Amino acid sequence: MGKLKWPERRPQEDFERILSPEGELVGERPAIDDAELLRWHEVMVKTRMLEDMGVRLQRRGVFSVAGGGPGEEAIGVGAGAALNPGDWLHPSYRQNASLLYWDIPLDRTFGALLGHAPEHVRAHLPLDPADAPKVKLTPYAVFLGAHIPVAAGTALTDKLNKRDHVSLAFIGEGATSEGDFHDGLGLAGVLKAPLVVVIANNGWSISIPSSRQTAAETFAQKAVAHGIPHRRVDGNDVFAVYSATKAGVDAARAGQGACVIEAVSYRMTSHNTADQADIYRDDTELEYWAQRDPIDRFEKYLTKCGLLDNTYKEAQRERIDIELRNAVNRALEIPATPADTMFLNHLHGDPGWLFKHQQEELAAEIAGKNPFMDFDGSGLGKGE
Amino acid sequence: MAESLNLVASINHTLRSELRKNERLRLVGYDIGPVGGMFRATENLFEEFGEDRIIDTPLTENGILGMAVGMAIAGDRPVVEMQFLGFMYNAWGQFIYHLANLHQKSGGAFKVPVTIRAVFGGGIKPLPFHSESTEAWFMHTPGIRVVCPSTPRQAKGLLLSALRCDDPVIFLEHAKLYRAFREEVPEEEYLLPLDKCRLVQEGSDLTLLTWGNMVHVSTEAVNKMDASIEIIDLVSLAPLDIEPILESVRKTGRCIIVHEARRTAGPGAELIALINEYALEWLKAPIKRVTGFDVAFPDTSTEEFYLPNVERITYALEAVLGFEF
Repeated sequence: MGKLKWPERRPQEDFERILSPEGELVGERPAIDDAELLRWHEVMVKTRMLEDMGVRLQRRGVFSVAGGGPGEEAIGVGAGAALNPGDWLHPSYRQNASLLYWDIPLDRTFGALLGHAPEHVRAHLPLDPADAPKVKLTPYAVFLGAHIPVAAGTALTDKLNKRDHVSLAFIGEGATSEGDFHDGLGLAGVLKAPLVVVIANNGWSISIPSSRQTAAETFAQKAVAHGIPHRRVDGNDVFAVYSATKAGVDAARAGQGACVIEAVSYRMTSHNTADQADIYRDDTELEYWAQRDPIDRFEKYLTKCGLLDNTYKEAQRERIDIELRNAVNRALEIPATPADTMFLNHLHGDPGWLFKHQQEELAAEIAGKNPFMDFDGSGLGKGE
Repeated sequence: MAESLNLVASINHTLRSELRKNERLRLVGYDIGPVGGMFRATENLFEEFGEDRIIDTPLTENGILGMAVGMAIAGDRPVVEMQFLGFMYNAWGQFIYHLANLHQKSGGAFKVPVTIRAVFGGGIKPLPFHSESTEAWFMHTPGIRVVCPSTPRQAKGLLLSALRCDDPVIFLEHAKLYRAFREEVPEEEYLLPLDKCRLVQEGSDLTLLTWGNMVHVSTEAVNKMDASIEIIDLVSLAPLDIEPILESVRKTGRCIIVHEARRTAGPGAELIALINEYALEWLKAPIKRVTGFDVAFPDTSTEEFYLPNVERITYALEAVLGFEF
């Protein structure tokens, strides 16, 4: 019996594009200076190397799970670069490039991948406030799409308090099927919240292709029902992603409300290290997409502009490799998270007798004592 | 100065005074604007504070709750009107994932000061899913507080504390109590603790544990008994203020629990478990639960047989008071 798979649908290329797969300008280059373009390139390369390293460390058993979005770096960088300091960035786990653009501390990222509690990571890898990311970040929404209403909320509060900030949220095309996506857009539309939602359509949501996700022609058009303007861009073209996002961010900041941008790309790997894509999809599309790789394309353009050559690239790889290794090493030096860290940050103030009693039970057990020796509520002291 | 107010008027009065005091307080929900809330709890607030403070929304409980969390982490203090507690079913994802967990999952980086006001409990003969008592589900969720006032005066002090608390608080308002009776509610501000039970009346023969409207039904039953019965209004369902409860049971040696919520794995089950763990040797009789049955909340024609009533509570009191090992 042959293995059955869902049919894959190659997206129409009738989207906005500025940089062709050959690295030629086919539209208007955004007004970005050369130094900033090289920074975009640096972040794209660093993101790919970071995610590669994550996968390698997972295979060695250092991380329990890792993943990323090789081939999708243009989405994170292009959209992330459209923000201002003080804006909200609600990330998705596949747009690491947006976080690297805003200088998230890499050692802490690796610390989190090691499974440490955030309190513990922060305690052992203190950060100079001057080095803290200049945008406001929420944790990855592990409930996919659940951050969209939250992003509508941060946007609304900034607007109502007359702060000049916008909120940007990344979401995969799969999560646009979740009610949360529509809940959030419905609210943002009616309340004119300065919210920009970037749909990273990479064709696959774990094993489900975009053709099985919606019968609609595009994901961008889902915004129509909410009265929200939408655009659809080549997600492997960092100029197209940036220009559309910047226009949306500027409009939101100017009081014109929300917008949705679909960035069309492709998931070049399995969903994550716990997934095995060859069970449900063929490799036939990979070559097509490899020819559209966002980093290759950008490098062709930068080379033509005389901003990049092989010597630069080699030195860059070496520099980033050292930076990543140092960050991993710092993360690996974090001591084990104490077990009672799990009790932190539930309620402010007194958590109550029962909560404290459970903490004492765990402490007693770890100390080799019987945690059940309290029959009258007087505490565990009697049972020693 | 004090005003004679019923529960819903007390809540309206408290929301208004805090809206005047704290410009970061915003009410968010469905039907809270011009109409003033299904039960008129937000009556006239839209007129005084405008649409940026009293935010009428599209119909999406899940979206409202998620948006409120976003507003909270950006510095506002949203008060969500969930209309009926049963509508929380629609908001379950945001409730668990963001409301209850974001503070902890962010390692304390974000606090989530959202108050959810929700009407709960039966006895007003509404449509299905408007009479739910699902306290136990919330008690089973770490990271939130659940409080339930049983009088107008108490409601003011508790609601003010909830509105100023840095934790998410579910504030349960019993439908039957909204207009049941009036009470003198002081004009000036006062705060009541969110995590303390309330001794309704002292007694030495039996401890009766309850909350919400059942405080009043139970008191009526107790008043007919020729026994000294201690009534404790739990007030805080999460976290449970268990020490005074254990102390009372150790004193009386007998206990019944009265709640509208279904029995199996209901709040009473947890209370009995704790009494069993920490006060068993003081018990003179098994503990009995007078609760809703393990059925869907029934149609209006039979809801009176589902809800604990004076007669049923009296039977339970007689049974437990009369038991000898």
